[in-house]
Amino acid sequence: MLYIENLTKKFGEVNAVCDLSLHINKGEIYGFIGHNGAGKTTTLKSIAGIQDFDNGTIKIGGKSVKDDPIECKKMLAYIPDNPDLYEFMTGIKFLNFIADVYGVSGTERKEKIRNYSERFEITDSLASPISTYSHGMKQKLAIIAAWIHSPRLIIMDEPFVGLDPKA
Amino acid sequence: MLGLLVKKQLSEIFKEYFVNSKKNVKRSKLSVCLMFFIFALVVVGFIGGMNAFISDVICTAFCSIDLTWLYFSIFALLSILLGVFGSVFSTYSGLYLAKDNDLLLSMPIPVGYIVISRIINVYLMGALYSAVAFIPCVIVYFIKMGFSFPVLVGCTVMLVEVTVIVLVLSCLLGWAVAKISKKLKNKSFITVIISLVFIAVYYVFYFKAQEILSNVIENAAKYGKIIKESAGIIYFFGKCGEGDALAVAVSVAVSVILPVITIFVLSKTFLKLAISTGGQKKKVYVEKAEKQSSVGLALFKKELAGFTSSANYMLNCGLGVLLLPAAGIFMLIKGQSYLGSLVASLSLENGVISVVAVAMICLLASMNDMAAPSVSLEGRSLWLTQSLPVSMWCILRAKILLQLVFTLPAVLFCGVCILTAFRLNPISNILIIAVSLAFTVFNSFFGMFLGVKMPNFTWTNEIKPIKQSACVFIALFGAFLYSAAIGGGYFVFRKYLSSEAYLAIVLGITLTLSLILYSYLKTKGTKKFEAF
Repeated sequence: MLYIENLTKKFGEVNAVCDLSLHINKGEIYGFIGHNGAGKTTTLKSIAGIQDFDNGTIKIGGKSVKDDPIECKKMLAYIPDNPDLYEFMTGIKFLNFIADVYGVSGTERKEKIRNYSERFEITDSLASPISTYSHGMKQKLAIIAAWIHSPRLIIMDEPFVGLDPKA
Repeated sequence: MLGLLVKKQLSEIFKEYFVNSKKNVKRSKLSVCLMFFIFALVVVGFIGGMNAFISDVICTAFCSIDLTWLYFSIFALLSILLGVFGSVFSTYSGLYLAKDNDLLLSMPIPVGYIVISRIINVYLMGALYSAVAFIPCVIVYFIKMGFSFPVLVGCTVMLVEVTVIVLVLSCLLGWAVAKISKKLKNKSFITVIISLVFIAVYYVFYFKAQEILSNVIENAAKYGKIIKESAGIIYFFGKCGEGDALAVAVSVAVSVILPVITIFVLSKTFLKLAISTGGQKKKVYVEKAEKQSSVGLALFKKELAGFTSSANYMLNCGLGVLLLPAAGIFMLIKGQSYLGSLVASLSLENGVISVVAVAMICLLASMNDMAAPSVSLEGRSLWLTQSLPVSMWCILRAKILLQLVFTLPAVLFCGVCILTAFRLNPISNILIIAVSLAFTVFNSFFGMFLGVKMPNFTWTNEIKPIKQSACVFIALFGAFLYSAAIGGGYFVFRKYLSSEAYLAIVLGITLTLSLILYSYLKTKGTKKFEAF
């Protein structure tokens, strides 16, 4: 599912990621653990296609992130460490926006939004602007948005920050 | 502590003049000088030049009949009007909506210090406009009447007093908007409506002031006497400019007391207004069927939501939406008696009308510059936009489309009104509409081009990318200059070209420039956006 070969990313003279190779198969859960500045987020951002890298190859479902970024992005969902969402939207508008961009049908999204928002207990808040959400609520919304289009690969950067124990 | 906060606030305002945010390196001295020179040229050239011209006309006449105080009073009042206009749109968000409010309030910093640092931001914007409006009248005075030290001291104090009054008026409005908007549901629209009402009142007053001013200039001695007897404050205000010791002392006191009161009042209410989430009831979500939209429409709706949710964005980048139809209706009713008569009285050919009409439409269309700050406004949610499975061109296109959707109909309406009012020949009619629409397209691409070239994602207050960024400044004044060049160019070439031929050439140039910008945005611009 995810194929990384010799990934290298430099910031000026600093080597953020050096020659990283990694193969992850369908159904596997893989975690990065490392000290601050080890290059975990840089690697995740490179996989998500939102950060260019200097050398190496990243393939998702057989497609190259560099050559075919849009097809790769269609297959994945990325949840960053700090969920800065579109604060001017309400929660429901944001979820509908994401569903539109990923081509999720009206009936499918309705079902998923109902299901996930009930599980995360944020249904009542969906009509409120995201700017009024707490960090945890934003994180929950980001997770629902990630799940709404049934991605084949989910990349989560510190996904439990701000979530309550039940979530 | 206060010094640090003020330094942080100032560095945010002037950062772009000293640091190239794209490369994150300091600008060269030459580049800094050039940035300030362009800024000074545009601001001082536009506002200062106009006031210097009026000063030149009335200075000697007023001062020779012992009405120097009235001369200074008039320019001080004009400077107050201009200063309030310059800073009023940003006051509310500048004072209360900064993203670092929570961070600063959580630190052991007195609220008063935070208020002062915010006020300095507001003060500088107002002071800039008032100083540019007031200083030319002082310079003209010294040139015409000779240098005088007491007048220099008096005018300096008077300028400070003017900037303080501007600050107090701006803060008062910002505070009122904050108080009202906390209690309302559709805050952005209400803020826009309140501000527009203010603008309307301002313009009515401004036009009345012009009428009064012309009247006062014509009958200076008579009105000078009346003002002196019945409006002592204005007389006293003007005496300060003359260097009158008592007036200077009172002005110094006013300049100290007013800011102290303002800071005191704002400090008392700041905490409540800055962190309050409002008194409105929380809207509970009710499930309803949602229709699937295309990717393009979804991206456009996202841009639209961003625009309509921000009063600052709407007021600073969308004023043309209202001004274009208003100008069209005005031209329909009064166009013949104003522009038609002017052209006839100056013995100019009718073709001038079509060129002036195009220049006017373009100038007003320039006031819609939603595309320019739209990239910077992505701010910290840029990751989200970049992670979407769509080409970056689709995202830029949605931002351009927002400006076109709001501007094209307004331009068309204004154009049709002008055509109806003047009944020009069919070719002129087609060219007026075609050039105006082409300019609108060009202006959208130009704004987007600057937005991609000069982004700033690290702002803490949205007013920074919307109003205080270099890209918006260049987009706005660049489009103003282009519009002025369309009008002015004809007077240079009209010996050799008919108005139709001239407009056809302008159309060709505008479309060519649009095409160049379009191809840049589709290729290099898209790549730049990907790489942010």
